[in-house]
Amino acid sequence: MSPVVECLVAFLFGSVVGLLMQRSRFCNTAALRDAIMFKTYRNTKAMLMAMMILTLAFTGFMSLGGGHPMEFDVGLNTFAGLFLFGIGMVLAGACTVSTWVKTGEGNVGALWALVFTFVGMFLFSLVWSWNWWPPAPQTMTGEPNLPALQLGFANARTLQDKFGVPAIAFGLVQFAVLLAIYRAILRRERAQQQRHERHQKDAAGQEA
Amino acid sequence: MEFFRKTLDPVFALAAIAVLDVFLFLLLGAWTVGGGETMMTGLMAQAVLGDDLQRVPFWNVVFPPRADYWKIYISLGMLFGAFAGAILSKEFYLRMPRRASEWLMITIGGLLMGIGIRMAYICNVSTFFGLLPEMNLGGYLAISGILAGAWVGSLVYKKLLEG
Repeated sequence: MSPVVECLVAFLFGSVVGLLMQRSRFCNTAALRDAIMFKTYRNTKAMLMAMMILTLAFTGFMSLGGGHPMEFDVGLNTFAGLFLFGIGMVLAGACTVSTWVKTGEGNVGALWALVFTFVGMFLFSLVWSWNWWPPAPQTMTGEPNLPALQLGFANARTLQDKFGVPAIAFGLVQFAVLLAIYRAILRRERAQQQRHERHQKDAAGQEA
Repeated sequence: MEFFRKTLDPVFALAAIAVLDVFLFLLLGAWTVGGGETMMTGLMAQAVLGDDLQRVPFWNVVFPPRADYWKIYISLGMLFGAFAGAILSKEFYLRMPRRASEWLMITIGGLLMGIGIRMAYICNVSTFFGLLPEMNLGGYLAISGILAGAWVGSLVYKKLLEG
């Protein structure tokens, strides 16, 4: 596929995603923040639903050698980077997706967050150029590299190669775990709803 | 049109996005945002600094700036799609953070997101909608990190709200 066609496909995908995000008010930050702070799960359920579908589809295609899975070494930087990101997204009230979506709705705060995300990236590029950590993709081997705090590379396909079990089998296990979390949230929501209805009934009884 | 009058169920919206992401995974790679944003940073830095950018090894070794990088266009598409949705549903209007403390939190939050993405080589989108469904080891590390970070961020946020 030529770079121009790739860019067109990506733009089309992004446009539909932006439209669906805008119309559904989905927010990745809210999916985590609201579950932690307010015990509400509107966005968390949506995120889990997508993760369940994707786990089945990705591991299914990976079993057959299809798709374009990401391949790079991971390590302490993966945990630490997303830890900083997690703090940042709650403070900014937006993540990588919602900064674009909210900017498209005219939210100047989201545009400001986006500008400073670019600034943060540039600042880190200066730090990287000084200490060269985490290792550059060209030097990644897929094997653990403990001096550089790297664990190497592993995904459903490497598990398939190692154990001779199709990647989809591992995907089904992950799907079952995600489904169990989803069902636990539904049970919790039902319990919250029943408590709310009981309170309303009690309040109505006292007024009468 | 009804679609632009009512809020869409996010479970339905994310299920539809997941199906589209499967097609993208087969054609190019799973949905991601951080890579495109990094390339945009490089292109903007190149526009400002010109050849001086060559003195920063990161932009030679890890992300040599180029405009035909497909991940850039996912972000631009999201901006366009959200703008079109907001206009057609009459929900576009300028919103400004009111207090100085909000501006400060957004500034620090944006910086941390940018630094975090570059340190990890991934963003939250790749974590939830790419690495984890591929059962990549990085997905589990990243989810542990983002959950811990969101928890710490929520504590800070609560403190600031109460203060």
